[in-house]
Amino acid sequence: MKKAVSVMVLVAVAALTIFCFGSVASAGEEIKMVGVITKIDIAGKDAKTATATLKDNKTEQLVVITVEDDLTLDKFKDHRIVEGDEIRCKYEVIDGKNVSKLFRKTAGC
Amino acid sequence: MKMTKAIAAALGLALTATTVLAAGVHPGKESIEKSGYKGPETCEECHPGSAKGFLDTVHWKHASKVTNVEGIDAKVEYGMKNRIYVMCNGNDIVNNLKEIPKSPVTGKSKFSGCNTCHPGNHLSDVGSTGAAAEAAVDCLVCHSTDYDFRQRKPFKNEKGEVVMGQDRSTKAALAIGKPTVKNCMVCHEAAGGGVIVKRGFSFTKDTDAHAAKGMVCVDCHKAKDHKMPTGHDPNNWANDGVFVSCADTSCHGVKPHKDADLNRHCAKIACQTCHIPRTGGAFAKDFTVWEQTPDKFYEPTTLKKEANETTPVYAWYNGTVKNTPHFIGPKGSKKDGKSKITPFKIFQGKAYYNKQTGELLSMDFAQPMSDGDTRAGVLSAAKTLGLKNPEKIAKEAVPGWQTIYFGSNHLVTKTKALYCANCHAPNGVLNFKDLGYSDKEIVKLTSPELFMEKLAQKQKEEW
Ligand code: HEC
Ligand code: HEC
Ligand code: HEC
Ligand code: HEC
Ligand code: HEC
Ligand code: HEC
Ligand code: HEC
Repeated sequence: MKKAVSVMVLVAVAALTIFCFGSVASAGEEIKMVGVITKIDIAGKDAKTATATLKDNKTEQLVVITVEDDLTLDKFKDHRIVEGDEIRCKYEVIDGKNVSKLFRKTAGC
Repeated sequence: MKMTKAIAAALGLALTATTVLAAGVHPGKESIEKSGYKGPETCEECHPGSAKGFLDTVHWKHASKVTNVEGIDAKVEYGMKNRIYVMCNGNDIVNNLKEIPKSPVTGKSKFSGCNTCHPGNHLSDVGSTGAAAEAAVDCLVCHSTDYDFRQRKPFKNEKGEVVMGQDRSTKAALAIGKPTVKNCMVCHEAAGGGVIVKRGFSFTKDTDAHAAKGMVCVDCHKAKDHKMPTGHDPNNWANDGVFVSCADTSCHGVKPHKDADLNRHCAKIACQTCHIPRTGGAFAKDFTVWEQTPDKFYEPTTLKKEANETTPVYAWYNGTVKNTPHFIGPKGSKKDGKSKITPFKIFQGKAYYNKQTGELLSMDFAQPMSDGDTRAGVLSAAKTLGLKNPEKIAKEAVPGWQTIYFGSNHLVTKTKALYCANCHAPNGVLNFKDLGYSDKEIVKLTSPELFMEKLAQKQKEEW
């Protein structure tokens, strides 16, 4: 009986490890979302990083996105992108942060 | 004592002068700081005539006479102001900036109109003239590096008129200079209905060899009196009568390579063919069926790709344009002695055609944007344009497709430029048969005989 339990624990540990590996592997995956900006945090004109909080249109969840590319940072600085804008975003989870790979205003014709 | 003071003063002056020049500070800065910015009149003090001159450019008129397109009236000016095509199935006239009807779902409205991409204030609109128009030009949208874009959006004034806002702060006017990439991209980046829609136009160090060298738009599009040189994109007709080409002697000339083989090809092959091997942006849109977006408004169904994801098509182009209700694209042939093999992005759009005349109709986006009713958009546009029996036209309108060839003139690469085998291998990028080569010629053009020795040599050098 004892043995069986320990085997089960082992299996569980193995499963966990596999699961962890799985999620590590998927860290490289891009997640897509469309949402409205509820908040932009950027520290001054020379900031090299900023965060934008998006309200996911599908789930209504708030997602905090880290933005590091110069073009988008510049659009935060001169307010070409502002709170209330709807954004099409692709991000990757890196070290627990949702790092933006694409951050574009949705715009109709 | 007096002497030293004078010397110190002179030195000081010289110092300020050099720092001013070195930092590229605008010589008018001090004066603007003192008197504040009141619009173009402030600039006119030292740059007389610039506002009036601006009114006579494509950027103000959204139109010009067009000489290289078939089937149009040589006396009429064409451009975004009045053309009808299927990248955006309207124009400044039928899609004049306005508040759209409230969404039946959310009860919300929004401003929409093509003429938002115009440096006026909408009260002085596309093509307007006179003193009010001169005073309305937004000089800073192209010349300031400290523009607050929260100001540049439509609003209703106390009279209920829709006004396009501008940043007219003295702060913005203190940061004057030659236009940066960003200044131009205010409008160019989102042409066609969003970023990377019309052309996959990205101008960054990763996507363009010239951007990587720190060049900006106006290093090539060098404007004099605000007349901006352009090229011969079959789809972009309006021009200021001045042109720019890669092969201009002030740029690269017609023999830019050390390799004589490459230079020889320039007689028949446009520079862009080898140096812009990819394009991007939207490749199909449906204006007859709009999709609901998450904010419950609607937009035309659009299929798109990123900047460098689309393989171009290649066609002979002599700079003149075929223009029919179902096709806008290059004219030219292997034999006419003027054409070059040129890359294009093919875009296809579905929209409504006039059942009686077969002509392409245009659409006012206000109603479809609100509730997806596209025929209501056709009706409104037909009324605005004064077509006879607009109700009948809208009801009977027939959906159909138009194919458009877009020029591919940015996204330049040196390292990924096409080389011998990219074209002369049997699976090369050119379809020699479609380009008019005979079977006999094709056998020759797809034989390693043409490049064997050269590529073998190169391979040796690389390793
Ligand atoms: C007190 C005079 C004065 C005023 C006012 C003034 N400028 Fe200038 N500006 C100059 C001088 C002098 C130069 C350098 C010579 C030249 O290019 O004409 C210059 C140059 C420029 C240049 C060329 C800069 C470059 O780096 O190539 C631009 C663009 C310009 N001014 C725009 C403006 C605009 C827009 C305004 C209004 C906001 C304005 N200027 C107001 C005096 C003035
Ligand atoms: C975000 C700015 C912007 C908006 C909004 C915009 N355009 Fe344009 N449009 C441009 C630019 C920039 C060009 C020229 C450059 C190019 O073609 O890449 C252009 C070119 C055109 C042309 C070709 C003009 C010519 O000279 O042949 C047409 C037609 C056109 N637009 C139609 C529309 C219509 C219809 C709308 C509204 C439904 C619209 N545009 C809204 C920026 C815009
Ligand atoms: C659509 C963008 C745009 C707008 C709007 C605009 N300019 Fe310019 N301006 C340019 C470009 C492009 C150049 C040429 C830069 C170059 O080639 O170095 C230029 C050059 C200038 C120059 C340098 C001298 C010359 O004529 O080449 C002055 C001065 C100037 N602009 C003043 C103004 C004033 C004043 C206004 C408002 C009435 C204005 N600009 C509006 C784009 C614009
Ligand atoms: C306020 C919006 C706006 C800005 C800012 C702007 N453009 Fe344009 N541009 C347009 C529109 C709209 C058209 C198309 C008009 C048409 O074809 O009817 C256009 C057309 C052009 C064309 C083709 C027609 C021509 O005049 O030769 C060129 C080239 C061009 N722009 C270059 C530039 C450059 C370079 C800058 C930056 C100095 C710039 N534009 C800034 C809106 C803008
Ligand atoms: C290295 C030079 C160069 C730079 C930098 C450059 N262009 Fe161009 N551009 C050209 C040439 C050359 C053409 C015309 C080619 C032809 O038709 O033969 C052109 C064409 C255009 C056109 C006409 C439509 C089209 O795409 O053919 C527009 C609009 C335009 N450029 C805008 C811009 C803007 C905005 C920027 C900056 C973001 C820019 N260009 C940067 C060289 C340049
Ligand atoms: C048949 C294909 C082809 C055509 C056509 C072509 N090029 Fe090139 N070009 C190349 C290739 C491949 C390279 C890279 C050569 C290398 O890396 O040594 C190159 C390199 C260049 C370079 C860099 C030269 C250097 O020494 O670094 C310039 C500039 C250039 N081309 C301009 C042009 C211009 C301008 C045209 C049109 C007049 C043109 N090319 C037409 C294939 C072509
Ligand atoms: C963009 C595609 C392209 C590239 C890259 C290219 N060629 Fe060509 N080449 C052509 C075309 C098209 C012709 C036919 C031109 C004509 O109609 O005169 C041709 C013609 C030739 C001919 C003449 C064939 C004949 O006898 O009529 C030779 C030789 C040749 N290429 C060699 C090369 C070599 C070597 C390279 C690499 C340095 C190269 N080509 C790169 C497209 C290309």
